[in-house]
Amino acid sequence: MKNFERRDFLRVLGWGGASASVAACGYTSIDSGVETVKSYVEPEDFNIPGVGVYYASTCTQCEAQCGVVGRVRDGRVLKLEGNTASGINRGKLCGLGQASVQHHYNPDRLRAPLLRDGGTLKPVSWTEATSALLDRSAATKDGRFAFLTGPVSGHLKVLVRNTTESLGSNQHFTYDPLSTRVNRVAADQLFGAESPRLVLDQAQLIVSFGADFLDTWVSPVHFAGQYARFRRATESKPRGVLVQIEPRMTVTGANADRWIAIRPGTEGVLALGLANALLSAKGHAGGAVPPAIATAAAAFDKTRVTTETGVSAEVFDRLVRLMQERAPSVVLSGPSAEGHVHGSANAQAILALNWVLGNVGKTVLLPPKLPFEQIGPESGDTASLRQFAAALAAGKLDTVFIHDVNPVYSAPAFLKMKELLDKAHFKVVFAQYLDETAKEADLVLPIDSALEDWGTHVPAYQPEGIEITMQQPLMERLYPEGTRSIGDVLLEVLKRRRPEEYKGFADYYAYLHAALVKNRAAFVGAAGDGEQFWTDALSKGVLQVNAPEQHVPAKAASVELDFAGAAQAADSKFPFSLAPAVRAGMRDGRHANLPWLQETPDTLTTIVWDSWAEVHPATAKRLGIVDGDIIEVASASGSLRVQAYIFPGVHPDVIGVPLGQGHESMGRYADGRGVNPFQILDPVFDRKTGELAMYATRVHIGKTGVRGRVVKDEGWKSGAVKTQAGRKLVVTLSADKAKLSGEV
Amino acid sequence: MQALAALALGLATSLAYAGDKVEQPIEFPHDVHAGKMGINCMYCHTYARRSRVSGIPPLRKCIGCHQSIESVKDKPRIKKLFEYWDKKEAIPFKKVNDLPDFVRFSHERHIQRFYFQLGRPVEEVCGYCHGNVRGMTVDVKVEPLTMGWCVSCHQKDHPNSKVGVEAVSARVIFPRMELSEQSAQGVNAETSHGPNDCWQCHK
Repeated sequence: MKNFERRDFLRVLGWGGASASVAACGYTSIDSGVETVKSYVEPEDFNIPGVGVYYASTCTQCEAQCGVVGRVRDGRVLKLEGNTASGINRGKLCGLGQASVQHHYNPDRLRAPLLRDGGTLKPVSWTEATSALLDRSAATKDGRFAFLTGPVSGHLKVLVRNTTESLGSNQHFTYDPLSTRVNRVAADQLFGAESPRLVLDQAQLIVSFGADFLDTWVSPVHFAGQYARFRRATESKPRGVLVQIEPRMTVTGANADRWIAIRPGTEGVLALGLANALLSAKGHAGGAVPPAIATAAAAFDKTRVTTETGVSAEVFDRLVRLMQERAPSVVLSGPSAEGHVHGSANAQAILALNWVLGNVGKTVLLPPKLPFEQIGPESGDTASLRQFAAALAAGKLDTVFIHDVNPVYSAPAFLKMKELLDKAHFKVVFAQYLDETAKEADLVLPIDSALEDWGTHVPAYQPEGIEITMQQPLMERLYPEGTRSIGDVLLEVLKRRRPEEYKGFADYYAYLHAALVKNRAAFVGAAGDGEQFWTDALSKGVLQVNAPEQHVPAKAASVELDFAGAAQAADSKFPFSLAPAVRAGMRDGRHANLPWLQETPDTLTTIVWDSWAEVHPATAKRLGIVDGDIIEVASASGSLRVQAYIFPGVHPDVIGVPLGQGHESMGRYADGRGVNPFQILDPVFDRKTGELAMYATRVHIGKTGVRGRVVKDEGWKSGAVKTQAGRKLVVTLSADKAKLSGEV
Repeated sequence: MQALAALALGLATSLAYAGDKVEQPIEFPHDVHAGKMGINCMYCHTYARRSRVSGIPPLRKCIGCHQSIESVKDKPRIKKLFEYWDKKEAIPFKKVNDLPDFVRFSHERHIQRFYFQLGRPVEEVCGYCHGNVRGMTVDVKVEPLTMGWCVSCHQKDHPNSKVGVEAVSARVIFPRMELSEQSAQGVNAETSHGPNDCWQCHK
């Protein structure tokens, strides 16, 4: 008040009258001399303050690796869009991709290396950190080193492998908590490729056994684009019909014409039942069907299938008829079918339906083979985490490097990852945040965000030809003294260990530049001049590899079905199956510290900033559970206390709990929020591949007597979704009135 | 506080606005460059016609001329200028004419319209908002740059129509706005898209 000078007085006086009545609404005048103008010394010609420029790069938020174009203004990246040159996303981008700027600008990013000193992590300079890294890793004896990474491809994979070798080891473990390895192995057996190309838009029918291809599965943006065309009727094909079969409704399930809630684990039984019905129908050509499938299917008649799966005979008949009438179709297998002891058998039986229906060669094709195997995608699995844990437990590892995964958070509690990590003497974690794993490290190296780093990526799912996508910094480092590229750090190690091979590369950029320019003849339309090629590659963001198309085999290889354990006896102690649902925004929990994604309502429940347990209305009624009751979900391996959400989109014998929340150490937006269902998974594994059976955990639930309020967009009142409080926000029609059954 | 005072006074008197002189790292003499030398504003503020911000000229621009102007090389301000250049460091000038983040004002549109299209003299065009810069050393804010002030200009030259729906949104926010008797069609189509649509400035 005492700074109210004459000039201010007059200024106010001048804006009396009309402005007085609305002055509080924003007659804002900014005082002079408060902020500093950002100006340039020697800007590039294209750099105009206030005008955006666009750079192509790659989205690293999930394994799909869409191409992105980032808008950069005044040296800051503002927003990402899809790159039209990318065959994966064709200019589109999902919400998860949009949110990656929040990884970049995140306030919880590490800004200095941390070195363990007498039990606590203390900030050190990069010089100290690098010498600690080089000296202490050099002391590792042969074979006692391991590198644990997330899914990795491109030249970073080469550096990771070579670093591992240079430290006298061959133990590079690629861990993906949401691994699709069961699917890949089954597809490889049946079609001869781990990731066959799925031409959804050519199909007239999609039958998906739990593959949430619109939201979380493999390459969601690409599949969503195809799905849009699949749904559009043209002169040559009718509007496509989608049938989703799964124990817990996914976003794809919510889009389906018919959603079938199946008893968990019996997906293979239904698939074989369908195969049997199709093969024994009049007029079926047979031929290419794998003999083991045909033999096994014969035992699954309609009565057995309907009893075991809980799918009614009427729905079963409809499904058979749809499959007969609509060709070509696509049959997909997803995590809820594959996450069981007999998950591989389920996947084989489901994918074999594509042979039975004659889809192979029409909607299921083979992508070309990548000519350079060394940069090919290493998609990761959970079996490798178990190998890593076993090596730690046996005391075989002294030094471990961990990058892009957070096993202390995402490994099931039975693996006791935190305790096992103690057995290694020198743990180096490359991380953006001080997450649960970084907290256990001896040296934490803060790495660049994806928008500051260089890289090349080879997406595992290739919709057109073979694409290598380029990643380039969209802006200068936010913390030039604080973070480094992991590529640069690994090159430091390699320069020390193998100077003669690596001394020529100043940094990771120089390495990438040299490697790509040298091999430019391998790419489609590469110009003769190296620099021209490099500039083109960066401005386009995508490189097409010269590779001949592969042809699908005329016949499937023989498969062996192992269905033991498929029929589950009723378990009175743990009567429910746990469905640990993947959310598009959270995935394996790595994105929990992005407020945009926390704030984005879950697509089906509209819940924000929290976890929940989905309980079927009939089950809830039986147990006296209402919306918001805090219930205990307990397996043999652990328990969670979480709010109940009454949800008709689950099988009555299933409890759905989403993954991604329940962090102890990640950042301000993630910590102490919700629960982490990874922790209560039972030690059950797919018999064939050794993958963790994510959907095989049995749980019981009980009330705790505590009640909360579910924070969700649809309104806090139970049942508000049905009435929308009388406001007709979204006008709906119940399914029985819509006469969908006429067609589906 | 000002808002409260305004409510209390509620007087409708118009007085000239006068901003404070801001202390800058270098007291740049606009009077010499734009006044004595008669250099076009846009020679240095080169972004004004191409971007929504006019920008501080890059340091390279200053040096481009001054490296060959021997007569003033020993002046303290020029010495200071070359110190920044040798360090390759931008001069931390303070903002004088700043707008809140929720306002999107485009220099480009105003320059393109008045200078290039209507051919008005540059000192007049820039002067609408910045006053007589030729008489200043460092820039001083001479207009309040509030919404009411913006509207006062647009209102004077292109009054809103009382007829039709275009005026409604502006009217809600600015109830005392003078409206013209002309029909909406009578108002120049180009300018009626101007500030009469909230979205034009508040995107």
